[in-house]
Amino acid sequence: MNAATDVRQRSIRQRLFGANTLWIGLVLLVLIAVFGAIRPDAVLTTFTLQTTLVETSVLLVLSVGMTYVIITSGIDLSVGSVLVFSGVTSAMTMNALNDGNATTAGWGTVFVGLLVALVSGAAWGLLNGVLIAKTGIPPLIVTLGSFGAALGAGQLISNGSNVSGVPNVLSNSLGTGTWFGIPNLVLLAAVVTAIGALVLATTRFGRYTYAIGSNEEAARRVGIGVTGHLVKVYLLAGTLAGLAGFMALAYFRVASITGHDTDNLNAIAGVVLGGTSLFGGSGSVVGTVLGVFIPAVLRKGFVIVGVNVYWQPVAVAIVLVAAVWFDQSRRRARNQR
Amino acid sequence: MSTRTAALLGATLLLTACGGGGQIGDSGSSGNTKRMVLIPGVAAEPFYISMECGFREAAKAKGYEVDVQAPAKFDSTLQTPIVTGVLANKPGAVLIAPTDDKAMAGPMKQLKDAGIKVVEVDTKLEDTSIAVSTISSNNEQGGQLAAQTLAKLVAGKSGSVLVLNTKAGTSTTDARAKGFEDEIKKYPNLKYVGQQYTDNEPDQAASKVTATLAANPDLVGVFATNLNTGEGAATGLRNAGKTGAVNLVGFDASPKQVEDLRGGAVQALIAQDPATIGRTGVEQAIAALEGGTVKRDIETDLVALTKADMDANQKYFYKQKC
Repeated sequence: MNAATDVRQRSIRQRLFGANTLWIGLVLLVLIAVFGAIRPDAVLTTFTLQTTLVETSVLLVLSVGMTYVIITSGIDLSVGSVLVFSGVTSAMTMNALNDGNATTAGWGTVFVGLLVALVSGAAWGLLNGVLIAKTGIPPLIVTLGSFGAALGAGQLISNGSNVSGVPNVLSNSLGTGTWFGIPNLVLLAAVVTAIGALVLATTRFGRYTYAIGSNEEAARRVGIGVTGHLVKVYLLAGTLAGLAGFMALAYFRVASITGHDTDNLNAIAGVVLGGTSLFGGSGSVVGTVLGVFIPAVLRKGFVIVGVNVYWQPVAVAIVLVAAVWFDQSRRRARNQR
Repeated sequence: MSTRTAALLGATLLLTACGGGGQIGDSGSSGNTKRMVLIPGVAAEPFYISMECGFREAAKAKGYEVDVQAPAKFDSTLQTPIVTGVLANKPGAVLIAPTDDKAMAGPMKQLKDAGIKVVEVDTKLEDTSIAVSTISSNNEQGGQLAAQTLAKLVAGKSGSVLVLNTKAGTSTTDARAKGFEDEIKKYPNLKYVGQQYTDNEPDQAASKVTATLAANPDLVGVFATNLNTGEGAATGLRNAGKTGAVNLVGFDASPKQVEDLRGGAVQALIAQDPATIGRTGVEQAIAALEGGTVKRDIETDLVALTKADMDANQKYFYKQKC
C-alpha cells in the first residue's frame, strides 16, 4: 500500500492491524497468557479478575480525563492531588453534616458528599483550564502548581491527617458491593469510560479535542473556540479526578492524604502506553483502558508467580518502555511506507 | 547592593560568627536555661501529639517552661527555619525529631554550638556528634512483637504469612520487617512468603494482598508495617471477603486505627510509646543541663494491642490532643 491509497479502500484486515490499540491489546493478552500458563490455578480465576478490576477502577477514571488532556497536547500533573483534595472535602462535609462522624449516615449525606467531591474537582479543573487557556502558561507549570496547591489545601483543611468516618451505606454499596458478580466500583468506572470513549470518538467535542492537539493555530483559524474548549477539557479532567476521589473514599473508607503521590504519573503512563501521543492529536480511550491494565496485570502477576520484590519495579519499567518502543517503531514503519 | 541586603548579609555573618565561635551570647545573658522546646517531625499527627503530651507533662513537673514548634509537613526545608527561629530565643534544651538524617545536621549543629543541649526523639541524624542523647522506638522489637502476636492470633493453625513494607530503604519499616522475619521462623506452622513493597500507596498494598491470596489461598496473617499499608491491606481483605479470616496486624495506634481494631477490620496493632519517648527526652535533657549522667542511646519498647485487651491499654492509644 502506498501513501496515496485512499483510506476508504483499506480492507478491514488492514485497518485492524493499523490500529494502535490492537497491538497494545495483544501485549496485554500475552501477559495474561504467560502468567496464566505459570499459575493457572491462581491467575485465571474470578477472584483475581474481580480484584484486579476493582483495584484499577479509580486509576481508570483518572486516566479517562487525562486522555482528553494529553490529546490536546497538554498534561495534568494535578489529578492525584485533586483526588486527595476532593476526598478530604467530601469526607469532612459528610462528617460535618452528622456531628463529626458520618459512619451511620444515610443516602442524603452520601449524595451531598458526591456533589462536594465533584464540585471540588471541577473547581481545580476550572482553575487549571483558565490559567492554561487564557494566560498561556504551559500546562506543565500550571498543573505542577496546582499539584502542590491542591495537596496543601487538602492538608490545611484536614489538619494534615487522614479523614475517616465514611458512611457505611456508601462503602458497602459502591465500595465493596457487587451487581450480578460485577463489583459496583467497576460498573461505575466502565460507564464513565464508555461515555468518555463515545464522546471522544463520535461527537464534535471529541473532534475539536483532536483538532486542537494536532495544530492549535489551525484549529483557531477554522473557527474552533480553542480557549473555551481547553477550559472545558481541563474542567472535565478535574471533575473526573473529583469523582475518582469519591470512589477512593468508598473503596478505602478513608480519605488518605499521603497515599496518592504517584497517581498522576500512573495515569500518564497508562494513557501513553495506550497509544496516545504526548505531542497531542492522536489517541483513544480504548487504548487508555488497555494501557492502564498492563501495569496492573504486571504487578499482580509478579506477586502471584513470586518474582523477587526488587525485580518487580525493574520488570514493570522494562515492559512499559518496550511496549511503547514497539508501538513507536511500528508506527514509524507504517508512516514510511 | 542595597542597604537592606547589606544589613541582612551583615546579620547573617554575625549569626555565623556567633555559631562558629560560640562565645558572645553563650553565658546565658539572654538565654533561659529553664526553657525547653520540642520540634516534632510534623504538626497535627497523633504520634507527635502524644509525644508532645509526655514532653509537656514531664517538663512542667520539673519546673521548666515549654514550647512546641512543628513544621506543617515532614520536610527539612520547613523544619530548618523553625530550628533557626528557636535558636534566636536560646532555650536551655531542644528536643527534635530531625526530618532528614543529613539536611538537618547543619541547623542542629548551630543549636549545639550556641550551647543548647540537643536531644533527638523518634528519628536521628547520621552524624551522632551533635545530640547528647537519642530516644527512639525499638522497631525491630516491634516487628518481633508483631510475629508473636500473629502466632497467638492464629492459635496453632498453619498457613502463609505476608509482610507489607513501604519503600525499599526506609530504615524504620525495614527494621520492623526484619524483626518480624527473624521471629516468625520460630513458628513452624507459619510459612513466611516474604515481603512486598508498596511505595507507601494504599492501592498497591490492597492489590498485593489480593494477589498473595490468589497465589496462597492458605494465607492466615498479614503484617502491615505502617498506616498506609495497613489501610490498603484492610481494603484488599474486605474486597476478598477475608476480613477477620486473615489476621491483620497493623503498626501504630492513631484514632482511626484504634477504631478499625474495635470494628474488627484489624486484629492487632503494634503501638509505639511516643509519650514515654517525650518524657525520657525531657529527663535526658535535664540530666545534660544540670550535670547528671546522660545515656547516649535509649530505645523504648512497643506494645501489642488486640481487641481483647485494648480497653485495658488505652494509655497507648495515640491522641489528637492532650
